[in-house]
Amino acid sequence: MYAFEWHRATSIADASAALARSGGRALAGGQSLIAAMRLRLAQPGTLVDLAGIAELRGIRTSTDGLTIGAMTRHADVAASADVKRTIPAVAALADGIGDAQIRNMGTIGGSIATNDPAADWPAAVLGLAATVTTNKRTIPADAFFTGLYETALAGDEIITEVAFRKPGRAAYVKFPNPASRFALVGVFVAQLGDGSVRVAVSGAGPCVFRSAPLEAALSKSFTQDAARQVKIASDGLNGDLHGSPEYRAHLVAVLAGRAVAAA
Amino acid sequence: MFTNTVPVDAYRGAGRPEATYVVERLVHQAAVHMGIAQDEIRRRNFIRSFPHQTPVALSYDIGDYDACLDEAMRMADVAGFESRRAESKRRGKLRGIGYASYIEACGIAPSNIAGALGARAGLYEAGEVRVHPTGSITVFTGSHQHGQGHETTFAQIVAGRLGVPVENVDVVHGDTGRVPFGMGTYGSRSLSVGGTALYKAMDKIIAKGRKIAAHLLEASEGDIEFADGKFTVAGTDRSKTFGEIALTAYVPHNYPLDKLEPGLNETAFYDPTNFTFPAGTHICEVEIDPDTGVVEVERFSACDDFGNIINPMIVEGQVHGGVVQGIGQALMENCVYDADGQLLSGSLMDYALPRAHDLPHIAVATKVTPCTHNPLGAKGCGEAGAIGAPAALMNAVHDALAPVGVTSIDMPVSAHRVWRAIAQAKRAGASVAHA
Repeated sequence: MYAFEWHRATSIADASAALARSGGRALAGGQSLIAAMRLRLAQPGTLVDLAGIAELRGIRTSTDGLTIGAMTRHADVAASADVKRTIPAVAALADGIGDAQIRNMGTIGGSIATNDPAADWPAAVLGLAATVTTNKRTIPADAFFTGLYETALAGDEIITEVAFRKPGRAAYVKFPNPASRFALVGVFVAQLGDGSVRVAVSGAGPCVFRSAPLEAALSKSFTQDAARQVKIASDGLNGDLHGSPEYRAHLVAVLAGRAVAAA
Repeated sequence: MFTNTVPVDAYRGAGRPEATYVVERLVHQAAVHMGIAQDEIRRRNFIRSFPHQTPVALSYDIGDYDACLDEAMRMADVAGFESRRAESKRRGKLRGIGYASYIEACGIAPSNIAGALGARAGLYEAGEVRVHPTGSITVFTGSHQHGQGHETTFAQIVAGRLGVPVENVDVVHGDTGRVPFGMGTYGSRSLSVGGTALYKAMDKIIAKGRKIAAHLLEASEGDIEFADGKFTVAGTDRSKTFGEIALTAYVPHNYPLDKLEPGLNETAFYDPTNFTFPAGTHICEVEIDPDTGVVEVERFSACDDFGNIINPMIVEGQVHGGVVQGIGQALMENCVYDADGQLLSGSLMDYALPRAHDLPHIAVATKVTPCTHNPLGAKGCGEAGAIGAPAALMNAVHDALAPVGVTSIDMPVSAHRVWRAIAQAKRAGASVAHA
């Protein structure tokens, strides 16, 4: 790890100013960024630590949904009775991230700002058409995830919270990489309150994406069989020693079917 | 030759997993082709007369291969397998069962045979038993322990034979400044060879103790018996404890100094007269999800004959560890380089090892035919799990995949590889149907 400056932000405004001044990176739970720094894959000159900003933490529920503060830890989401009651698929997803140590440190804001292609949270945010609020604006999920480790966030922009509307039903099914346990493929399926269906896929491509053919098929018939009939194209999907693009494409339809059955 | 791939060396089982894999895969396929049950084809080929001279120098001293097969089948509930297979099928899953009846050569080795085979070292083991004036004992062994529990097992051997509390025995190993020149830990040899060296050193301790006791008890040396930590004049209640003899040896006031050195400290080097031949049967049961290719190990049963067992808990742990290692090799471990020689599986983020949740309960049992040529009757248990498991698991996978037309698949049977094999078999089946 290279040397860096560490700034413990006292407020969102202070954090944003420090980021603008230094050109550094915001530090949330550190479960991706610190590992990348340790491997010298990331080399920020300054880390702006968000841990001291209390208003970024916490979970609020309302009759039609759920708002999760950016610095809320996965373990707190997984254990929240409010989340389990309002959108159980979100609690289950948080409970399946990484391992216990990662869930006790990692945050929803950190996860989606990193936008690791095999992360779990992006699938829920995109699958549930969530809204990402920052210190500058609100960004719909469809505009937030822009590419491999890339998002719509500006350099001094800080996620404050993520708002989910309660769906009719939803579920996330993950096929773990046998070594890392990251999603080789993860599929989040949701039937929203208005009856529309969204299918968000993690792990399979360079960035989380929605599957139009699955959404079309499941809009007609929200059944496991309907999902299984869909032929997913493997073009542009990831291939590595754990799975070819064709295998990942196959798994997308299989896992979508299982998510439908679980929803 | 120059290479940038990593050097490799012997690994748990070192040749026996590979040999067992080839033999047991052939036996499995032969049984399938000839319509013989998997246990029956093995029974027909078991050796039952000992010693058995093999065509390749080794002579098996003893074994009971039926006993291990029977017990493994009982633990595996082979009788209930077909109903479990039918239940899996109802859920769209493929279930299979696989056997591996292995035999291995351990306890290496007679040094002259090893030399004839090209080894450049002697393969004896050394042991020193140092009895202190207090009667407590320090044991020095040339066999190193790094997790195999030698401190416990060796202490048990010494404490049991000399009749002292086990906590009064210290085991020293691994410090070449202190231990006699030994050959180390490999080939499941530590107990049968290193343990026997200690046993031989104890022979000398007891022989000297009898001389001292005979002097103290004013009896003939030939009349002194040693048992339960006491030297007794046969047929009388006159005796000296082991501790009294130890103290006398170091405080030789009343002592046959003209005939006997003071002290009670003996070393022995033991060179085996034969290899030992642990054997057993492992039975593995898997369930495969044809939609994803995931192989779940549902049951694993291992019955092994390691000869006499000193510490059952350590033996069970050795089998568990070996089986897990074997399952890991068969199921997931994979060292992958790309075409340019770049290592792709360079960290545990990509090199998959078995975790607790990848494993079933591992049922373990032992049958005992004591080794005939070492005084402990021990054969060795350190590698058996890793020897039987890959072949048993792969036979189970082939059994499970046979109904969908997969005839051959290689280790490691990752989900991706299984899925691809099923897809290829389906395509081949479809093209045959159209032809």
